Amino acid sequence: MEKSGSIDSLGSKPSSSRQPSVDSLSSTSTSRSDRSAQAKPPSALSSDSVSTSAEFSPELRVKPKAAAKKVHRDSDKEEPQLLPNETVQDMADDITYFCPFTGALRGTVMVTNYRLFFKSMDREPAFMLDLPLGVVTRVEKIGNTSSRADVSYGVVCKDMRNLRFAHKQLEDTLKKSVFEVLIKFAFPVSNGLQIFAFEYGQVFPENGWKVYDPISEYKRQGIPNESWRITKVNDHFELCDTYPSTLVVPVNIPDEEMKRVAAFRVKGRIPVLSWIHPESQATVTRCSQPMVGVNGKRSKEDEKYLQAIMDANAQSHKLFIFDARPSVNAAANKMKGGGYESEDAYQNAELVFLDIHNIHVMRESLRKLKDAVYPNIQDSHWLSNLESTHWLEHIKLILAGALRIADKVESGKTSVVVHCSDGWDRTAQLTSLSMLMLDGYYRTIRGFEVLLEKEWLSFGHRFQLRIGHGDKNHTDADRSPVFIQFIDCVWQLTRQFPAAFEFNEYFLVTILDHLYSCLFGTFLCNSEQQRLKEEIPKRTVSLWSYINSQLEEFTNPMYVNYSNQVLFPVVSLRHLELWVGYYIRWNPRMKPQEPIHQRFKELLAKRAELQKRVDELQREVTNRSVSSSSERAGSPTRSITPVQTFV
Amino acid sequence: MFSAKPVKPTFKCYLPPAQTDRKNSIQPPVRLEPEFLPGEIVVNDVNFVRKCISAESSQGDLWGRLICTNFKVSFIPQGPPPKQKSQLSHLLLGQHDISLTCLEQVVTVNDTRGKRKVLGSNQKLKFNPTELILYCKDLRVIRFCFDEAGPESAKKVCLAIAHYSHPADLHLLFGFEYQGLRYHKYKGDLVNGSTPRGGIQTPAFDRPSDWDREIKRTGASGWRVCSINEKYAISDSLPEYIVVPVSLTDQDVKQHSPSFTDGRVPLWCWNHRNGSALVRMAGPADPLTQRKTEQKIFTAITKSHPQRREVTLSDLDKSLPNIQDIQSAFVKARQICTLDPFEESEERWLSSIENSRWLEYVRTFLKLSAEIVYNLDGKNVSVVLLEEEDRDLNCVVSSLVQLMLDPHYRSLNGFQSLVQKEWVMAGHRFLDRCNHLKKNDNKESPLFTLFLDCVWQMTNQYPAAFEFTEFYLTVLSDSMWIPLFSTFLFNSHKQCAQLLQDFSKNKAIPQGEDHTVIFPPVWKWSQQFSTRDQTLFNNPMYVGKGAASVQNGEVKSFHRSKKAFSSTVRISSTSQRNGLKGEEEQLQRRGSLVSELKADFSPVKDESPSERFFRDWFSHPADQQGVLIPLVLPSHVVLWKLFFLRWVPEVCIQQGGPATVYHKVSQLVDEIESLQGKLRQYKGASPRSTPVPSPSGPSLDQRRMYFKATSPDDPPTTPNILNSSFPFNPVGNLCPRGVQGTPISKFLNGAKTWLSTETLANDTF
Repeated sequence: MEKSGSIDSLGSKPSSSRQPSVDSLSSTSTSRSDRSAQAKPPSALSSDSVSTSAEFSPELRVKPKAAAKKVHRDSDKEEPQLLPNETVQDMADDITYFCPFTGALRGTVMVTNYRLFFKSMDREPAFMLDLPLGVVTRVEKIGNTSSRADVSYGVVCKDMRNLRFAHKQLEDTLKKSVFEVLIKFAFPVSNGLQIFAFEYGQVFPENGWKVYDPISEYKRQGIPNESWRITKVNDHFELCDTYPSTLVVPVNIPDEEMKRVAAFRVKGRIPVLSWIHPESQATVTRCSQPMVGVNGKRSKEDEKYLQAIMDANAQSHKLFIFDARPSVNAAANKMKGGGYESEDAYQNAELVFLDIHNIHVMRESLRKLKDAVYPNIQDSHWLSNLESTHWLEHIKLILAGALRIADKVESGKTSVVVHCSDGWDRTAQLTSLSMLMLDGYYRTIRGFEVLLEKEWLSFGHRFQLRIGHGDKNHTDADRSPVFIQFIDCVWQLTRQFPAAFEFNEYFLVTILDHLYSCLFGTFLCNSEQQRLKEEIPKRTVSLWSYINSQLEEFTNPMYVNYSNQVLFPVVSLRHLELWVGYYIRWNPRMKPQEPIHQRFKELLAKRAELQKRVDELQREVTNRSVSSSSERAGSPTRSITPVQTFV
Repeated sequence: MFSAKPVKPTFKCYLPPAQTDRKNSIQPPVRLEPEFLPGEIVVNDVNFVRKCISAESSQGDLWGRLICTNFKVSFIPQGPPPKQKSQLSHLLLGQHDISLTCLEQVVTVNDTRGKRKVLGSNQKLKFNPTELILYCKDLRVIRFCFDEAGPESAKKVCLAIAHYSHPADLHLLFGFEYQGLRYHKYKGDLVNGSTPRGGIQTPAFDRPSDWDREIKRTGASGWRVCSINEKYAISDSLPEYIVVPVSLTDQDVKQHSPSFTDGRVPLWCWNHRNGSALVRMAGPADPLTQRKTEQKIFTAITKSHPQRREVTLSDLDKSLPNIQDIQSAFVKARQICTLDPFEESEERWLSSIENSRWLEYVRTFLKLSAEIVYNLDGKNVSVVLLEEEDRDLNCVVSSLVQLMLDPHYRSLNGFQSLVQKEWVMAGHRFLDRCNHLKKNDNKESPLFTLFLDCVWQMTNQYPAAFEFTEFYLTVLSDSMWIPLFSTFLFNSHKQCAQLLQDFSKNKAIPQGEDHTVIFPPVWKWSQQFSTRDQTLFNNPMYVGKGAASVQNGEVKSFHRSKKAFSSTVRISSTSQRNGLKGEEEQLQRRGSLVSELKADFSPVKDESPSERFFRDWFSHPADQQGVLIPLVLPSHVVLWKLFFLRWVPEVCIQQGGPATVYHKVSQLVDEIESLQGKLRQYKGASPRSTPVPSPSGPSLDQRRMYFKATSPDDPPTTPNILNSSFPFNPVGNLCPRGVQGTPISKFLNGAKTWLSTETLANDTF
């Protein structure tokens, strides 16, 4: 045994030759390692902002044809392979792309009903930019129209980058610039067009729309039980049009009474069960703020309802109400008829404010973060610049809130009620994060999909409004990166507990990329009711269809399914980090880190191979001992050779 | 002995002290004996001392005996040992022990009288201390309370600790006592065991053969070993054997020597396969002759280059922070990480870390080293590192450059030989920089720690490229504060040789005995750790030579394509730049858009050749056995948490942290090794007998991984020992789990633990 030697790796020898240029489409930085096992070197990093879409384009992976084609592709004829029902809308030559990292590049632009594709032969290998139109926030014409100077366009994106293009003043004044066409297709909703997800007709082996079934998820949690029942009172969204049709409520509250509770909660979002502890029966319930108003209105039914939630847990004679907002904001809401539960009215309840700021503060914070990281990070004052965005501080407050909830439920065996104002932004962040800490099921790939479908999609996080799919109104105050923040928090958890999650970083990045891409129907609309009305499951493909059809790509090889492990992260800025693999991935100097996963996969392969050899030898030995006992005298040397060949 | 008075709340107790039935809880004193090393004697001791675990309550505190010896401060707790033990058990120091050399500051407090004093050597103390706080060089902060101890004995112990941690002279350090006795005790084994150099595989570079091997290994055909400095004839701080250009005769070397500070003629460090050499050089001693001498030396270096390339000079004093800057950055970073009140410092954590400038300096060193890699590898020119004394900054940069270029130094042994070559033998003043004698604070500077941090950044970015783990780096840094190894005790090899000669004489050790045998270097790890614990040094992810695309230590370089600069890019970028100006003005008027798009309007600049080199390098997958260039974006140089935060209980992630990955990978690698062992057994078995490999594979002591594979039938359980401080355990800072309650209460209350120490730290005398 070589004493200090290491395990020789299988196929870890990096190829030094330049890859076919299609690889320059490989883009997302960090998780690449997981895929580079398939010999996909990150050569893209030389070309800077490379889009995620082509890389993610399902057909590149799913269709074997595309994979085969990759081998002998002439880079001169390099064009993106169009998706089913994707059609070219316009093309233009002699376009300049101002790459903020490596300089200006001249090339051609193609606009389809799904993407913008820019290609330049100035570089070797060819430089390509592939951008799903869904990520575009706005397109601004910056050139001076009266002069003969170039016309330039700024394309501001939702995924942390800004692109700039320019072309010569058009001779034919009647001809539309390719960027005018881009504007039309980037904002289909504003231009009376259809979002591409409705046209995309890819078929996947698995149907992602079947991932979440509320009844079976509640059954998994042991519901219905003696204290909680499933109610159909909202079957036609009459009680609350932003809630799902299937709700779990305390057994002893009849449907009739629930309507009076709904009248006291903003938008009828009554307290309903999100999660129940399998042993202590302590629960996480969610709702919107009570309509207390300036006069301190009370509702007997609401008080009784909360008492029922407390009574459903025999382990504790207390109920914690976590109001996600800063207390000042909660108090200010009284002016608008809202407010918070007074501890006088709610016996045995303790109210805690979690100081998480509203959607507008978060939007501003992410905007500042973008300024700090794109295109380049300033060489000095990086950390104080990061600090002044307050992004990590917000992440910390959200995680701290979720930790307190998880701690109360797990260690305190106490039920909790979580709300903010409407109960669809901060509340969704808090319940889903605490559930992720409490229940290992949600840390699997499918479990996480269920968590998103349940706590975010079915409970009415307003994705359409928060993201503004296909809508040109970029100043809309309803837009906010609440969901991105949540995914960031999940990433922070995976950093602290690298073996506790079945999915890898690439999975999280993919979710965020398709949050914007409008390729899948998953994140369209604002509520379950709207999704049913628009027949989203019928007319679009689910993101989970794509993901679950190639789970290997998204799997963390180091995942260990520790039973009943509750995660208590350390919520301190000492451990929270900026998610460079997402926010800084466009920077060409951002080398993929974490070859750990790749290395681990190599080691797994090595083990499998060795195990095979050992098994074969074992069989050989067994056979030999059988044969040698019978024909030992006959052929003394025969049995030696096969063993030798293995060494 | 026990005070009958109720304990009063003090400035560091925010809750009234628990008036527990303390008398019952203290068992009648049993003899609490520390473990002594040969030559170790008790100087003073005191009983009924409380080691504070938390300021919140005294519940988790430990009671026991505090002892000062001539080697360490020892605390012997009463009662059963805690369940949660440190994974790493040190053979020389117990869990509650601190070597005297490791003490940074000794502070005594009398809280009833509101007095505090930092104790030095031979000082008087006018009050009876109720409390003793020890600030340690390894970033621990430990507090003892004397509320039940005899006031006089307590005072005596405090004074003894202060006194013995300030040795008047180097030879009073405990190592000189210990190693002498150890030598005689084990003399038989040492002589009979025919292993040369006490079994240490790391070359010491104190003999020509070590250098010769290095010349051959790197293919440095233009260089030779020169013995002109034997008996330190030309320089006190250079090693006796140095490597010089073949075109320089011994006489030339001798003649040039006086032109350099301390006679330090330029010193060869390393050769690239392409022929370019890395050389370190001191500043001029004589400005008049300097120019001429420098010219001659450079010409000689050029002659040693196969393509006769001109030499590039890199003046480190001009481009790097000085040793005082580095020291003050480290002091600030340490303060922020271990002393500042936890919760209060959260809000400004990022900017505080930035203000310490520590990470900035780490980045600067990595960046400059990468530039030199570009010169050697990309431009194929020899580089001379210039520093006034050639004994501080040059050590950091030359070793970093070699680490980036040569995979040999990324193996455990290679790394140790690098430290030996570029630090110990090159004359880094460990004695002064570590300030072991606490005499001259302004010479203290954590250059070596800075280097280890830079190395850690590299291991963090390339986790499969290094044979050793971050535990190894941390333990190596801790070893600086144990005065038993020759590695970190001296300012030069000459000083080492002289002192050890006197030492041998005094201890009746025969003349001519090998230094590494009579006073072993730190590289003899069996002095500190068991064989099993040493497996913590092995990185399971390491891709060793077996997988390398590189043979015989040859370093692969990337050949840049000739098409590097496409003229079209240049033309278009300049032509567009003119157009940009007008647009920028246009933008200003458009208000809000400016802020979002402004960044893109920064002039599109041409890449410099080095930028192009780096971009090209980063566009390929890194070859773990090839050149490695660190990422130096500000976002990618991060705080080394294990080093800076391992003792802070509030930050300890239970059942999480990088150790969980280490655990998982180690188990897998162990499984692979045991399969390989089985295969070998099949191979080695004689054809006649039936070979049946043992189910466990190779025997335990052969296995390299700390964590062993479990049977596939076992249910997966996270070992409770895994946390973000692994393999260390913040005992003394960390409250045993379950006593203080849930993690959240710790998160919310933790701040106060540090309040008192903070108050103290800001106090000046």
